[in-house]
Amino acid sequence: MRHIKTSTVALVLALTISLVACTKLDEKLNSTLTESQASGILLSSTDVSVLLQACYDGLQTFQNQDGPTSLEENSSDESLVPTRGGDWDDNGVWRVIHTHSWNADHAQVGNSFNGLLGIVFNTTNTLTFKPSASQAAEARFIRAFAMYTVLDLYGQVPFRQPGENLLNAPKVLSGTEAIDFIISELTAIQNDLPNGPSAGGLAYKANKDACKVFLMKCYLNKGVYSNRAAPTFAAGDMTNVITLADQIINTNKYALSNSVFDNYAPSNTTSVNENIFTNLNIGGSKGGGVRSTWYKTLHYNNNKSSWNGFSTLAEVYDRFEATDTRRGVAYKDPNNAVANYPNPANAINTGFLIGQQYDWVTGAALQDRKSAPLAFTRAVAVQESGTNLEVTGIRVLRYPIDASPNNDGQADNDYVFFRYADVLLMKAEAQFRSGSAPAALITVNALRVKRGASLLTALTAQNLLDERQREFYWDGWRRQDMVRFGTFLAARTLKPAASDPKYLLYPIPNAALAVNPNLKQNPGY
Amino acid sequence: MNFSKLVRPTLVGLFACLFVISSQAQNKTVTGKVTDSKDGSAMVGASVVVKGSQTGTQTGADGSFRISVPTSATALVISSVGFGTKEVSIANTTSVSVALTATNEQLGEIIVIGYGTSRKRDLTGAVSSVKAKDFNTGVITAPDQLIQGKVAGLQVINNSGAPGGATTIRIRGNSSVRSGNSPLFVIDGIPLDGRNARPFINATGLGSTPDANPLYFYNPNDIASMDVLKDASATAIYGSRGANGVIMITTKRGTAGQNKLDFNYSVGLSKILKKYKVLTADQYRAALKTYGINTGDLGTTVDAMDEITQTAPTQNFNLGISGGNDNGKYRMAFGYMDQQGILKRTGLKKYTFSLNGQYKFLENKRLSIDFNVLAAHNTEMISPISNDAGFTGNLIGMALQWNPTQALRLANGNLNIIPGSSTVNPIAMQNGYNDKADMTNLFATAGAGYKLTDELDYKFNFSINHQVGVRRLTEAAYITLPGVENRGVAAYANNELTSTVLQHTLNYNKQISSAFNLGALVGYEYQKFAYKGTGISAQDFTSDLVSYTSILQNSSASSRAIFGFEDPSSSLQSYFARVNFNYKDRYLLTGTFRADGSSKFGANNKYGYFPSLGAAWNVTNEDFLKNDATFSNLKVRASWGITGNQAFPAGSAQSAYAFGQGSIALVNVANPDLKWESTKQFDVGIDFDLFGGKVFGSVDYFHKNTTDILFNFDAIQPAPATKYWINLPGSVINKGFEVTLGTPLVRNTNLTWNASINAAFMKNVMENYNGPSVLTGAISGQGLSGASIQRLASGQPLNAYYLKRFDGLDATGNSIYGDNGNTLYYIGNPNPSTLLGFSTDVTYKKWTLVANMNGAFGHMIYNNTLNAIVPIGNLGSRNIAASLIGGPVKESLANPISTSTRYLEKGDFLKMANVSLSYNVGSLGNVLKNVKIFASAQNLFVITKYSGFDPEVNTDKNIGGVPSLGIEYIPYPSSRSFLFGFNFGL
Repeated sequence: MRHIKTSTVALVLALTISLVACTKLDEKLNSTLTESQASGILLSSTDVSVLLQACYDGLQTFQNQDGPTSLEENSSDESLVPTRGGDWDDNGVWRVIHTHSWNADHAQVGNSFNGLLGIVFNTTNTLTFKPSASQAAEARFIRAFAMYTVLDLYGQVPFRQPGENLLNAPKVLSGTEAIDFIISELTAIQNDLPNGPSAGGLAYKANKDACKVFLMKCYLNKGVYSNRAAPTFAAGDMTNVITLADQIINTNKYALSNSVFDNYAPSNTTSVNENIFTNLNIGGSKGGGVRSTWYKTLHYNNNKSSWNGFSTLAEVYDRFEATDTRRGVAYKDPNNAVANYPNPANAINTGFLIGQQYDWVTGAALQDRKSAPLAFTRAVAVQESGTNLEVTGIRVLRYPIDASPNNDGQADNDYVFFRYADVLLMKAEAQFRSGSAPAALITVNALRVKRGASLLTALTAQNLLDERQREFYWDGWRRQDMVRFGTFLAARTLKPAASDPKYLLYPIPNAALAVNPNLKQNPGY
Repeated sequence: MNFSKLVRPTLVGLFACLFVISSQAQNKTVTGKVTDSKDGSAMVGASVVVKGSQTGTQTGADGSFRISVPTSATALVISSVGFGTKEVSIANTTSVSVALTATNEQLGEIIVIGYGTSRKRDLTGAVSSVKAKDFNTGVITAPDQLIQGKVAGLQVINNSGAPGGATTIRIRGNSSVRSGNSPLFVIDGIPLDGRNARPFINATGLGSTPDANPLYFYNPNDIASMDVLKDASATAIYGSRGANGVIMITTKRGTAGQNKLDFNYSVGLSKILKKYKVLTADQYRAALKTYGINTGDLGTTVDAMDEITQTAPTQNFNLGISGGNDNGKYRMAFGYMDQQGILKRTGLKKYTFSLNGQYKFLENKRLSIDFNVLAAHNTEMISPISNDAGFTGNLIGMALQWNPTQALRLANGNLNIIPGSSTVNPIAMQNGYNDKADMTNLFATAGAGYKLTDELDYKFNFSINHQVGVRRLTEAAYITLPGVENRGVAAYANNELTSTVLQHTLNYNKQISSAFNLGALVGYEYQKFAYKGTGISAQDFTSDLVSYTSILQNSSASSRAIFGFEDPSSSLQSYFARVNFNYKDRYLLTGTFRADGSSKFGANNKYGYFPSLGAAWNVTNEDFLKNDATFSNLKVRASWGITGNQAFPAGSAQSAYAFGQGSIALVNVANPDLKWESTKQFDVGIDFDLFGGKVFGSVDYFHKNTTDILFNFDAIQPAPATKYWINLPGSVINKGFEVTLGTPLVRNTNLTWNASINAAFMKNVMENYNGPSVLTGAISGQGLSGASIQRLASGQPLNAYYLKRFDGLDATGNSIYGDNGNTLYYIGNPNPSTLLGFSTDVTYKKWTLVANMNGAFGHMIYNNTLNAIVPIGNLGSRNIAASLIGGPVKESLANPISTSTRYLEKGDFLKMANVSLSYNVGSLGNVLKNVKIFASAQNLFVITKYSGFDPEVNTDKNIGGVPSLGIEYIPYPSSRSFLFGFNFGL
C-alpha cells in the first residue's frame, strides 16, 4: 500500500514536471513584427518604399501648429499666439516663445526635438534595408532636412550609424561639424536623387532640384552655424548659392505662379510650377495636419469654426503695399471644382484678415460670441485684457481653405517647403552679400512685379529681409532669416527689450540631456 | 450470604436496565434554531450536545437542528467555532432558540489565502476578511464596492458616478509609477487578467470615455466573502503579480441539507448627489449688469443640468438554489439588475448566471470534482462624457456652460440648435448620442482533487475566462461638434479578452508530534492572456432615422476607417511553495517562495524569484497568559518578503515594427534586461481581543519599498517615434499604520449594538530618482492645451502637484502668482494620509439598523472642472461658476485660464456610504422562510469642503500611461439612492 502511494505521488510529480517542461515562454507579437520578421519582409522586398514613406510622413511634424514651425515662427516678429482670457493660456507656453523666455522643460522644445530626430532615425533605419541608390538618396535627403532643422533650432544634432543599439547614447554633431556633414551628405546624394518636378511632377519627392535649393540654404546660412551672434558670409559659399540658383533657373522648369496662394491651394500637388519640395497631403485620406494652418488662426465663428489663436502684428501688415497681392485676396481656387465657400461678399479669404469678417458661404457680416461684430483689430497683445479679446489681432491664412466637407480631417493642400521664389530671393541675397546689390535688385524686382508690388529703387539688408517676409510669412523660415540678418534678438513691439544671446538657440530638452551624456546644455540655460 | 448484598447490585442493575429502557422509551425530540447574536443570521454547523453526554448533532443550513434527547436531560450545550458556548435549559420545552455571541469573531474564521485556506489564528500575515453579512448595501454594480471602507489600508474610489464605471483600488498606497497599482483579483482561486474588454473608441469631438469596471460581470449577491491579502507573507505566493496586494473573492457554495431557494428583490430610485453651482438665470443677469455687459441675456430661464438628469429607477433581483449532501453540493443562481443612470439615456443592464458544484467519489471520498461557471451579459448605455474633452465635447460641460438665459427649446418645441456654433445644446448631445456596449463574460473552472494519503492532497484546476465586448456608437449629424455637424459619426468596435489558467498543487499536512504540525504546499501555475479587436468608423449618412451603425454602407467611402490589433501573447509560468510550522499553537512560521517566468520579461531576466517569511506568536497560548483577564487573545506577527509587479504591456522587451497605412515602422525599442518592479515589504502586527471580547482588533505597521521602477521613456534620440521600457534606480516608499477596532457596545436579549472602526495612516514618497522628469495629470480645456499638474520627483510623493502658486487677485482682477508664475512649486499631495472606515449595527428584536461610513483625509483634489469649464471669461456667452461672483475683488473677464493652486482644494471627506434598516419577519406560514424586508440609503450625505461634484473622484488624466491621481474633470455625477426590498427562502 505504501508503495502505491509513493508511486502515485511520483506519477503526479512526473506529470506536473512534464507539463511544465512543455511550456515555452516565447512571446508572439501578433499584430506587430519582430526585428527579424520586419527585416525579412523589408530585405526580401526589393522595394523599401513602405519604410521610405514613413520617412516622408515624418515631415508632417512641420504642418502642426505646435511643432518646429511654431519655434521658427512664434519666436519671430511675425507671429504670436495671444492669450485670450481663458483661451490659449496653455500655461504660458505661447507667451514665452514670443517674448524669448522659454526654458529646457518647454513641451514644444522637447516634442520638436524628438519629432525631428525621429525622422533622422527612420531615414537612417531605411538605409539598413538595402534600398536602391535612388531610395537611399531620398532617405538621406530627408535625414539631412531633419538634421538641418535640429541644427538650426538647437545647435547640436545627435547622430547614429545604421544598426546602432538604441539603448546606447549616440554621438553628437555641433555647429560647423554638423553643417559640413549635411552639405557632404547632400553633395554625395545629388546624382542619385530623382529628377526634379516638371509640370505636374513630383515636388513631394526628394529630388535633384530640391537638393540644390537645400544646398543653397546650407551655404547661405553656413556662417550662422559657426557664429550665431555675428555671422560672416564666406565669398565661396555665396558663389555656391548663386551657381546653384542658376542651375535651377536654367532648367526652365519653374515659374512664379500667378497668385502666390496658388502654391498653397488644395490643388497644389499638380497645378503649379513654383513648388520644388513639398509634403504630400491627400484630401480626406492621407496626410498631416495642414488644416491647422487655418484652424489655428480663424475665429470660432468663421467658416470652419476654429480655434481663434494665432495672429500677426500690424507692423508686418504695414510692410505690404495695398497693391501687393501677397497681402490678401478674395481667392477663388481655379482648380477647386466644388465651390463650398462661394464667398458672395467677395471678402478677403486668404492672406491677412483684418476688420469686419464675412461668412464665406452666405456673405453675411459675422459676429463674435458676445454678439459684437467679428472685426479683427490691428492692436494685439501677448496677453489680451480687454472686452474685445476675442477679435484682437490680424489673422493670417497662408493656405487657402480646403472647404470640401470630406476633407475636414485631412485637407488636400500639400505643405510647402521650397519654392522657386526662394531660389530667386536666396540668389539675390547671395548677390547682395557678394557686393552685387544692383544685380540682386533686378532679381528682387522681377519677383515684386509678379506679386503686384512697386519696384524697389535700392536694395538694403532691411528691405531684403522685409521682402523675404512678404514672400514667405508663416512658412517657417522667419526665425532663421532674422538670425542671419542679426535682428532676431532686437527689441520689438511685443518684446520690449533685447533678448539675452542665449535665445539664439533653443535649449537641449532636459529629458534628452538626462539620457544622452554626449549632449551638453547650450550656454545660458 | 447476606441477601441484601446479593440483591442490591442486582436491583441496581435491574433499575439501571429499567432506567435505560424507560429512558429510551421516554426520549423526546427537541428542535431549535441557532443564530448569530450580532445580526440574527442562521448559524450553520453549530454543535448541539446534550449536557453531560456524547449525544449531539449539528445545525443545518438554516441554523436549525432536531435532536432526540432523554426526557431526563436538562440542558443542551451549544457551541460553534469562534463563538462562545451557551447552555440552554430543555427541562420544560421541546423548542429552543439560541443566539450565540462571538467571543472573538475572527479567531476561528476561515480565511482564504493564496492556493488554500487558513484559520485566522494560524495566519502569520496581514489579511482582512469581509463576509457577506458585512458587505455594503445599496446599488452595487461590482464586488469591489462591497468592501469599500471595510478594510484598513484598502482604498476604493468610485472614479465617477457612471453606472458600471471603474474604481480605483489601492492597498497600502501607490507604489508603481507606470505599471498599474490595482491589486490582483483572484476569484475562487483563479487569478484574473484584470482588464475589461470594452472597446476603446475615441469619439469624434469627445475624446476617450472613462473605463468600465473590470469586475462588473460578477454578481455581488453571489459572493460569500472577500479576503484582502496585504503583506508579503500573504501576497508573495502570487510573485510577480502580488506587489499591489491581492483580493480573494469567494463565491457562495451549496451546503449539505435540504434544497434551498433564496430570492431577493429590491427596487430603488437615484438622484444627483450634488448639483454643481453655476449661476442661475437671475444671477447671470445680475452678473452681466455688474460687469457692464450688454449682450448675453437671451431672455429666458433654463436649468440645463435639470434637463439632462432624471430620477432614475433601479431594479435588482436574485434567485439562488442550492443544496446537496455529504457527497455532492451545488449552487446555481440567476441575477438581474437594471440600473438607469441619473443622466437620461444611460444605464447598465446586467444578467448573471452562476453554477458551481463540488462532488466526491471513490472509497473514503478520495476523488473530488469541482466546477464553477460564472456567466454574465452586461449592456452599458454610455454617456457622452470623456476624460479629456476640450471645452465642448462633454455632456456635463455643455450643461454647466449653457447660458441659463438661453432657451434650450424653440417656441415650436424643437431644440435650439445653433448651426456652426461651438456651443452645443446639451439635450441635442444627449439625444443624438448613442453609445451601447454589449459585454459578455464567461468564467469557467473545472477542478479535480485526489487524496493521495491522509496527509497529501493533489489538486488540479483549469480555468478559462473569455470576455467579448461589442460597442456601437453614433453621433447624430445635428450635434454641432466640429467634425460631427452635418456629417454624423458611426463607430463599431469589438474586443476579445481571453485568459486561461492551469494549476497543479500538492498539499501536505502532518501532525508530526502532539506539539508540532507541519503544512506544506507545492504548486505549478500557467497563465496565458490574449487580447485582440477590430473596429470600423464612418461618416456622412443620408438619414438619421436608422442607426448609423446599421447602415455603414451608406457612409461616404472617404470617411471610412478600419483598424485591427492583437496584443502580443503573454504567458506566465510559475512554481511556488509554502511551508507552515506550528509549534503548540504558540509559535507559527510561514515561508513562501515563487518563481515566475514571464514571456514579457526581457531575455536576460526570464525568471523572477519572490520569497517571503512570516512568524507569529500566540502569546495567550503561553502559560503565563492563559486565562488572563485582560488578554483573551494576543498574537504578535512579523513578516518580510519580496513581491513583483509585471503589469506592463506585453511586447515591451522586444523590438516591434507596426503596420501603418502602407507603411512599417519601429514602435518599440528592445530592452533584453527588462524585468518586473520589485517591492520589499516588512510588516509587524498584533491581533488582540481584550476583556473577553469587549474590544478586539489589530494594529499593523508596514513598510513597502518598491525598486527597479518601470518607466516608459521616449527612446534616446535619434530614435523612432517610440518609447522604450526600462527599470531605473530609485524607489517608492509606502509606509504607515493600520488599525482595526471592534466592540460589542450592548449585548442583551433584545438589543445588540456593535461598532467597528478601521483606519490607515500612510505616507508615500519617491526617493533616489535621477532620471528624466516625468509629468502626468494632463489638464484639459480651452487655454490649457498641453498643461500638466503632477510631476514625479525624488523627495516628493507620487503624483505630487507641481503648480504655479496662486496668491490671489490683484486690484485689476487678474491672478497674482508666486514669482510671477515663472516658478512652479511642489504644493499638495493627492495621496490621502488617512483612510477611515466606520461601521455600526444595532439590532432590536427583529429590527436591524446598519450604517457604514468611509472617508479619506489629508489629500488635495485638483478641480479641473472649475479651472476649465466655468471660468469668468465665459460671462456673456456661456455660464460661469457661482463661486466666481461676489468676492472682494471683481475678477477680470480677461484673467487668463491657467493651472495653479487656485484650483487645488482639500479633498477631506466623510461619507455616509450606506444605511440600511431591515425587519426580520422570520417564517411566514409553512412556506416562506427567512423573510426579511429592508430599506437602504446610499450616499446619504457627504461631509466635505470640496466644491466639486464629489470628493470621491479620480478622472483618468494620465500622460503617456503614467497614471494621474486626484483630478476631477466634469465626471459623470455621483448619485444618492434609496432602495427597498425583501428576501425570502423556500
